[in-house]
Amino acid sequence: MSKKIKQIAIYGKGGIGKSTTTSNITAALSEAGYNVMQFGCDPKSDSTNTLRGGTYIPTVLDVLREKTKVDAHEVIYEGFNGIHCVEAGGPAPGVGCAGRGIITAVQFFKQQNIFEELDLDVVLYDVLGDVVCGGFAVPIREGIAEHVFTVSSADFMSIYASNNLFKGISNYSKSGGALLGGVIANSINQSYSKEIVDDFVKRTNTQILEYVPRSVTVTQSELQGKTVIEAAPDSAQADVYRSLAKKIAAHTESKVPTPLEVSELRAWASGWGQHLLELERRNSAPEALAKVSS
Amino acid sequence: MTKINIENTAVESREQRLGTIVSWYGKASELSEISQYSKGGGCGGGKGRRCTICEASGPFSQASGCTDAMAECQAGNIRDAVLIKHAPLGCSSFQVALNTIYRYGLAMRGHKIENVTVTSTNLREDDMVFGGIDKLRLTVEDVWDRYHPKAIFIGAACATAIIGDDIDSVAIEYGEKLGIPVIPMHCEGFRSKHWSTGFDASQHGILRSIVRKNPEKKQEDLVNVISLWGSDVFTPMLKNLNLRVNYVVDMASVEDLAQTSEAAATVAFCNTLGTYLSEGLEQHYGVPQVRATQPYGIKGTDEWIRALAKLTHREELAEEYIAREHARIEPIIDGLRKQLAGLSGFVATGSAYAHGMMCVLRELGITLKGSQVFHHDPIYDSEDPAQDTLAFLVDNYGDIEDFTVSVRQPYQFYTTLKKVKPDFITIRHNGLAPVASRLGIPSIPLGDEHQAIGYQGVINMGFIILAVMKRQRFHQDLAKHVKSPYSQWWTAQTDANILSKHPELIWDDVSDAGVSAVKRAPQPISEGTG
Repeated sequence: MSKKIKQIAIYGKGGIGKSTTTSNITAALSEAGYNVMQFGCDPKSDSTNTLRGGTYIPTVLDVLREKTKVDAHEVIYEGFNGIHCVEAGGPAPGVGCAGRGIITAVQFFKQQNIFEELDLDVVLYDVLGDVVCGGFAVPIREGIAEHVFTVSSADFMSIYASNNLFKGISNYSKSGGALLGGVIANSINQSYSKEIVDDFVKRTNTQILEYVPRSVTVTQSELQGKTVIEAAPDSAQADVYRSLAKKIAAHTESKVPTPLEVSELRAWASGWGQHLLELERRNSAPEALAKVSS
Repeated sequence: MTKINIENTAVESREQRLGTIVSWYGKASELSEISQYSKGGGCGGGKGRRCTICEASGPFSQASGCTDAMAECQAGNIRDAVLIKHAPLGCSSFQVALNTIYRYGLAMRGHKIENVTVTSTNLREDDMVFGGIDKLRLTVEDVWDRYHPKAIFIGAACATAIIGDDIDSVAIEYGEKLGIPVIPMHCEGFRSKHWSTGFDASQHGILRSIVRKNPEKKQEDLVNVISLWGSDVFTPMLKNLNLRVNYVVDMASVEDLAQTSEAAATVAFCNTLGTYLSEGLEQHYGVPQVRATQPYGIKGTDEWIRALAKLTHREELAEEYIAREHARIEPIIDGLRKQLAGLSGFVATGSAYAHGMMCVLRELGITLKGSQVFHHDPIYDSEDPAQDTLAFLVDNYGDIEDFTVSVRQPYQFYTTLKKVKPDFITIRHNGLAPVASRLGIPSIPLGDEHQAIGYQGVINMGFIILAVMKRQRFHQDLAKHVKSPYSQWWTAQTDANILSKHPELIWDDVSDAGVSAVKRAPQPISEGTG
């Protein structure tokens, strides 16, 4: 009997730090001794760059385009600490169908039994998280990932994307799809950002797995084409990712979230908007007083 | 051996699994050499399953077939199952032709004659934008209310596959709700350049969802025969070995399909059709497949009977049967050979079946210089050289000079026939037969594909050829009164594959036809012609 491979999908709005977070989790898991694959499902194909010194790798779809018969080994590249890196790839912006691209690439891998052959412990799918069509939902459907995590900041648009993802999860949960493990709160430096995401997870019946602060170490590492785990292993930020990876490795029970309806979400956002305005007014009042008195 | 992966709902395409090609030209021996199981050595290198053959390419494709249609022709022809096409309505248009074939097949096998039961979700613009899953649910419920089938197949199509409609979830949901197998088929046409992937898609669904998982009993005298709609020639043949026949997939019942795991062995009338299901049954359910060539021609039938007898422990009966049949048929075949002496034939049909047909013609002493097979599988799923039908043909019956692989392509067919100049052709895809008629060549339509099977098959083919040759004059008369649809330039061509070698020549043809000659740069050539 082969061991159970832990398959995890990490979703997040474009630009929210999803690939950075995923690559750091992958690196931390690998460092802890797990045999890991990172599978980028974003047509930009840069999910695994920081695991490979900032370089791009040929994508599954690029190779499938060149020839009709492809061996999965041809599209798996070794990254930091022996991590298996794969990029699904996709069309140039504005043409073709990126969603179908994900379906094609994921099906190709499933058919080849490659995960068992490589004796993987964990597969992480890094997926563009707006779930705009059926293709982007493939990793959360039956038989692919088991647990989904979403990377979100306290930005309204990021939360909106997470809520959309929750809708997809809740939809597919009836047919054996992946369930939600929780939210990875990213770029949380202000106390109110923490409060916003805390409130969102409470209302949607999920949890925060980790609060990841915004950090210049991340930028420095990425500029070197590396993860924080590789470039700054002794930093506090590296420990944050290690702690996150540990929680993900230990995570077993995911749940069906309760996404907010669009009107509820708007009302919720508007409530927070007013609250933040109030906060700003209160904070700026002493400053104004100080100006007058000087 | 490569594992048949039935965990996933989508089947792997033929080109990915077997390296299937749809265009090639040369001698049969050359193709056999570069695709032979043990040797490999195709221009792409590699051995066995990794062997890749360089495909000829062309600047256009004149004809093809759809993967979807082949999945439909199996899943839609199961007697007590219903096929739902989750697609715009036009994707079901092939059902018109299939219904005719289905009715003929039912009549030939003595089943109740009825129409196919196929429904469509009839997707429209709105469904493409918002997803068609609700319509699919409604259709599954309607199908259940109206027909109470024993199984429901849901066939995807290009449109639903692109938008990513989740037919798998609906299948799981209704499988549980209705308590019958509900089977998703990922048979969208764009997944493969050859239609035979459609056979694999329906067989994949059957392997996953219908075949009985843990059979309580074994039927030691039951043989699965993977076939299409051909007449029942296997029952009388296998009776000689005290074996019963379980015909699958077309015109089978769901129970016939379920009991395939209880059988003693699996055979196929053609490896092209049966390779996936045979291997799947062997790997996942322990039902061995006959590891021999196909039952065509005396030698092929001998080997096939012996291999089946070995699997089912009936060697003595087999030897008696073989001896009896040899004694019966040899004088008849000798007589036929005399009557057929001097005739030359041409085979145009599907891959492995074509190899079998060529063996039969060569046994009858027919000269065979050319063929057009519709695709080529360099290897079958078992990866067993014993099943290498092309090598069997070449090694036992000699070479074939113009062995073209071409996915129909009437323009190539026309030129190859002109070059080879056969007295008759045998053809299963009858839409191409008029191409031969225009050249004064009569056709043997192989509507009943079982006519050529076994010992009697050699005799059948001999008499059919004699009958058809009596109509040669009719076709010659036709030829005098019809005009070639091709330009003067193409009519004068002697190389059917000239456009694969020099695609830029199609622009010369434009100038030849009187249009002002505009020399253009050669266009990029698409790989394959499927």
